[in-house]
Amino acid sequence: MSEKIGIGLDVGSTTTKGVVVDVSSSVLAKSLVQTGASASDAVEKVLIDLRRGCDQAIGSAPIISTGYGRKQVKGASKSVTEITCHAVGVHSLNPNIRFIVDVGGQDSKVIRLGPKGRPEDFELNDKCSAGTGRFLEVMARVLEVSIDDLGPLALKSNTPCTISSTCTVFAESEVIGHIGAGMSPADIAAGIHMSMSAKIGSLAKRVGVLEPVCVTGGVALNPAFRKYLSDNLGVSLWMPELPQFTGAIGAAVLSFNQV
Amino acid sequence: MSDKKGEKVYRQLESNTLLQQIMFRYMLEGHAASEEGRLAWVTSGFPVEIPVAMGVGVSYPEQYGAVVGSQKVGPMICGFAEDVGYSQELCSYARAGIGSALKPDESPMDGLPPPQALLACNNICGTVLRWYDAVSEITGAPVHLFDTPPLENGQPPHHKQYVKRGISKLVDFLAQTFNTTLEEDKLRATAELSSKAIGLWTQSLEACKNAPSPLNCADRFLAMAPVVSMRGTEHIIGFYQSLLDEVQMRVREGLGAIRDEKVRLLWDNIPPWHAIFKFFNGLAKKGVVFPADTYTHAWSGSIQGDDLFDSVATIYSNVYLNKGLDAKVDKMCELIKDYDLDGFVMFSVRSCKRYSLGQLVSKELVTERTGVPGVVVEGDMVDSRVFSMAQIETRIDALLEMLI
Repeated sequence: MSEKIGIGLDVGSTTTKGVVVDVSSSVLAKSLVQTGASASDAVEKVLIDLRRGCDQAIGSAPIISTGYGRKQVKGASKSVTEITCHAVGVHSLNPNIRFIVDVGGQDSKVIRLGPKGRPEDFELNDKCSAGTGRFLEVMARVLEVSIDDLGPLALKSNTPCTISSTCTVFAESEVIGHIGAGMSPADIAAGIHMSMSAKIGSLAKRVGVLEPVCVTGGVALNPAFRKYLSDNLGVSLWMPELPQFTGAIGAAVLSFNQV
Repeated sequence: MSDKKGEKVYRQLESNTLLQQIMFRYMLEGHAASEEGRLAWVTSGFPVEIPVAMGVGVSYPEQYGAVVGSQKVGPMICGFAEDVGYSQELCSYARAGIGSALKPDESPMDGLPPPQALLACNNICGTVLRWYDAVSEITGAPVHLFDTPPLENGQPPHHKQYVKRGISKLVDFLAQTFNTTLEEDKLRATAELSSKAIGLWTQSLEACKNAPSPLNCADRFLAMAPVVSMRGTEHIIGFYQSLLDEVQMRVREGLGAIRDEKVRLLWDNIPPWHAIFKFFNGLAKKGVVFPADTYTHAWSGSIQGDDLFDSVATIYSNVYLNKGLDAKVDKMCELIKDYDLDGFVMFSVRSCKRYSLGQLVSKELVTERTGVPGVVVEGDMVDSRVFSMAQIETRIDALLEMLI
């Protein structure tokens, strides 16, 4: 007999994520694809992956959508904002968490949670690429390293250089200036992460950081970002096993309330 | 959702027909005054009772900015000002005003009628003076500043004395420019008409303490036009009486501005004129009504007493935007409590620094004092190029998910 399952789809500006979860919030199947030019195509690809990856039929499972493309998901019974979904997803994985820092491809958000996991306050940065994954992508290109190698490179530095601008365009010029001045790529990479962490740290402090703090989103996988954000906030950070999927997990958990 | 098929979520006001007629008359009277050489452009917080009592016609560039915004030509008209070097960071009302003065033939309603004087009161912001200076260069009309320095913790006697002296100077300027005089009887009659309109308007605003609220934000933003632009004239009294009658009828019959009121929120700041119906009606579909806002409550002072100049000096110095952050926070908390509101939305208007300054701090303080959550959304009142509906929806939807 098949168990009760729910589907969460997080249609982000850069990637679309989908999960199938059971009532204990265990992930039975997952998929991540580039959103690209068509959110509906990305959703279709994710659903195909989920069908293939899940041991049981998912056809009748309820779907909740989230993310910027949440309203484009035709089969969803409801769309819920990523603020609520991240809160629900993280709370289902670790009920102690009181603060979330989520850094995605083109936005970053901070959410303060109440004792029962409900959002109490939040802030979003979605008008400026500084403090988002895009910032790191631009800087990795300038340093001629892959985005996956940028964090480990930064961790080799003992003397991070200063990147004073928080604007991606100006920071890129500053990085080029440091390269011209002969600074080491590791020191420059460390400076890049410090600058980004300071920007996100300000956003977090504005909302009021409560421990324990969780970090999610694709950028959470970057160890240098976690180190410098932890230094900036003066707290240790907890990262879930699948930091890119917490919004989708939250959406899937919420789907159980829809049936 | 309780709306039946074919029934709009949002209830139209019948008094809107009268409102349209009055605003048409306002436009015609502006043109007539301009042709007769007795038109002044005035800022929204100007003590308009003085020029009106002296027979000077008035037109409001800020209101014209709202028209530019609602006709969705903000980027084009603001662009005329940007083409000659004004920054996109400058107030979009100012850019719309300067842009339309530069190219009236390409602007809505062929621009505002040409002025013979420009009357700026800086109780709403300091930009107005430089904006009117720029318009003066284009039109040749002289600028007169009625100076009301900002207040913090009440109005000291020397402040009032200074502002009262400014009223005398204003009267002298108008007398010289328009060859007219100020008679006390006429000023008293104008002040009485102004007070009467404001009194009726205030009663309609306060009726929104009822649940369901008889008016929503867009209703009030439209209905405030006569009390802003025609204070002190007889013919707006009838409109505000009709509006109040309709509002009171709605209260009696339990009819709300929206059909299914679920969440009551406070609105802070000027609205996005370019998206006003889409925005507020979109939220109405989710059961969200805005029974109060900080903007339309700003026109509430009544000129009275033996010393009319003293009363004018008090009222026009103490407008919402001329006071410190504490007063703004107090006002928001008062509205949230009196109107029994569940939360608040602060519109951070990119080009209106005076209104938007301090909103992040205010948000924290208001939540701390009232216990209700709020959200800051960013955009602009006229310039739709800096307005993203998707980003705003995410924030407001998240606020609603916290409330529902």
